[in-house]
Amino acid sequence: MALFKKILIANRGEIAIRVTRACRELGIPSVAVFSDADRDSLHVFLADEAYHIGPSPSAESYLNYNKIIEVAKLAGVDAIHPGYGFLSENTHFAKALEAAGITFIGPTVANIEAMGDKLSAKALMKKAGVPTVPGSENGVDNIEQARAITEKIGLPVIIKASAGGGGKGMRVVRKMDELESAFRACRSEGQNYFADPTVYIEKFINDPKHIEIQVFGDKHGNHVHLFERECSVQRRHQKIIEECPSPSVPNDVRMKMGEAAVRAAKLINYVGAGTIEFIFDNSTKEFFFMEMNTRLQVEHPVTEIVTGYDLVKEQIYVAAGKPLSFKQEDIKQKGHAIEARICAEDPITYKPHPGVIRACRHPQGPFMRVDSYAYPGYEVPIYYDPMIAKLITWGETREEAIDRMQRALSEFVLTGIKTNIVLHKTILDHPKFRDGSYTTQFIEKNFEVIEPQIFKEVEDPVFLIAAAITAYNDRKSKDVRQLNLTSHWKRIGRKLQLRT
Amino acid sequence: MYFEAELKGKKFKVDVAEQKNAWKVSLQEDGKDWVHYDISKNDFKKAEQYISFLFEGKSYLVDVIGKDTEYTVFTRNSFRTIKVFNDEMLLHESLKKGGGFGGDQELKAGMPGKIIEIFAKEGEVVKANKPLLIMEAMKMENEMRASRDVKIKEIKVKQGDSVESGAVLISFDEP
Repeated sequence: MALFKKILIANRGEIAIRVTRACRELGIPSVAVFSDADRDSLHVFLADEAYHIGPSPSAESYLNYNKIIEVAKLAGVDAIHPGYGFLSENTHFAKALEAAGITFIGPTVANIEAMGDKLSAKALMKKAGVPTVPGSENGVDNIEQARAITEKIGLPVIIKASAGGGGKGMRVVRKMDELESAFRACRSEGQNYFADPTVYIEKFINDPKHIEIQVFGDKHGNHVHLFERECSVQRRHQKIIEECPSPSVPNDVRMKMGEAAVRAAKLINYVGAGTIEFIFDNSTKEFFFMEMNTRLQVEHPVTEIVTGYDLVKEQIYVAAGKPLSFKQEDIKQKGHAIEARICAEDPITYKPHPGVIRACRHPQGPFMRVDSYAYPGYEVPIYYDPMIAKLITWGETREEAIDRMQRALSEFVLTGIKTNIVLHKTILDHPKFRDGSYTTQFIEKNFEVIEPQIFKEVEDPVFLIAAAITAYNDRKSKDVRQLNLTSHWKRIGRKLQLRT
Repeated sequence: MYFEAELKGKKFKVDVAEQKNAWKVSLQEDGKDWVHYDISKNDFKKAEQYISFLFEGKSYLVDVIGKDTEYTVFTRNSFRTIKVFNDEMLLHESLKKGGGFGGDQELKAGMPGKIIEIFAKEGEVVKANKPLLIMEAMKMENEMRASRDVKIKEIKVKQGDSVESGAVLISFDEP
């Protein structure tokens, strides 16, 4: 069965390159699209064809699906891969493609819709027997009701003002006799700060970890899971390090999570690659559904490395109507993989730091993978995500994978822009990362005073001497008189005086 | 060549001298002793797009970006931004800021040199951008100007004097 004649990749950066690579390995010509800011971006160089789709802001280019479909028709493509982000979970886009007779390499419109709305997704999960965070479905009006619910779900619980935010109107209750005062406090804070006294009660997760299960479905009713990824290392609520397998999930729980994810995928007849995210309580090893991402994830490589399956190629096979190329019993986790997201950002403030890359040399060597779009002279644009590269290492054991990642990070030369490479190195050495006990609050709790650690690698004189010699050379090479704005007439005058 | 440098709030005096095969770099952190480094040019050399810097037995790939008064040094995925001032920059910076860095009330020599001509007179108010003196250093004439109005308190050098790096040339008062 022929796959596709030509595939357009409606994305940019490393993921556009990732998909281009899968296309090339399958012998399918690939089409890149690019905005004004991305004419010099690596995904444009690596694709077989490339078309301009508009100005730099995403809304006018990578999100402009009418323009993208127009280019697709012009280029004669019969399938579009959306990557992640941008249009990957946009049902209008998926519907427009259907109307245009172009295959969307992703789930069905119904799949995206079912999981797009949090409430309906939660209801579906309950139906599939997937645990959700226990709590009151509706607002809790009085203390008797609050006590009944708390007894039902068990301590500890968290009371949340429904309109709350920023830590206001939230109370953790660990003992029954604290319930009444916490309940009253939340209601009055809700009333005072948000003019709404409605409160909810939910199970409180002591040591929350972000564990997700990769699922895959085809158009023939087959569904499998490819085990978990742990993504608890987060800054600004975004993941920066992911690993597979999780150091915290016992094998029986791993199996339960996988089975629950497959039940959910089957219930909605899910097609293609998807990820079911769970909040995992490391103290009780319980897991609860958070949401489902109906697309390929940034961190898919750790699953690829550990299971040995190419998820992007599999997406293309499934979109072309082929049955899944693996069965559940074939899928095994071999060794351990870690991914570090390299971002153009300040390692202390996490603020994006776009700019021109000067020197760039990617790490090389055994058992690692680099998915990057950085090159020397490339200007990281201000318009898009600051992630410029992903580094993935494999080891027979978790320790080996971590040590290998440290080695790879040390080899990575990237200058001209600030990056979070030093932050990664600091995290990988942290005892809470090493022993696997880290939770989603790991960075905010442990990296408040991070600066001395981050800069411990290099002594001050190295920086000072390098700057001083460079400053010396700069001044020597400049005509100091010009530098100091002496007028041309004066210079000529002085010269003449010297001659006489 | 004499500089004053600032790194993460710490202030340093820096002296760089170039020899045929070596760099002599001296650093003095505020309140500490001078430390002298003798760096073979073979240990600080361009390689690919970076500088390969062999320092005290350790190997660093260094990249330095910047100009004038601010340099950012990248190495081993660490980086530091360093402010580097020499004489006229010290003057300009301090006048611009109205004080602060390195003693705004005097003009210092940024490198060893010879005083060629002095325009300013003691007690005189000099308007911004008017030349104060010309100093010759490294076979080039270096005209130093005031970048805002200043009153000349004392001129500590005379025409023809040879001065060392960091020597105070003129001190100022508020006009």
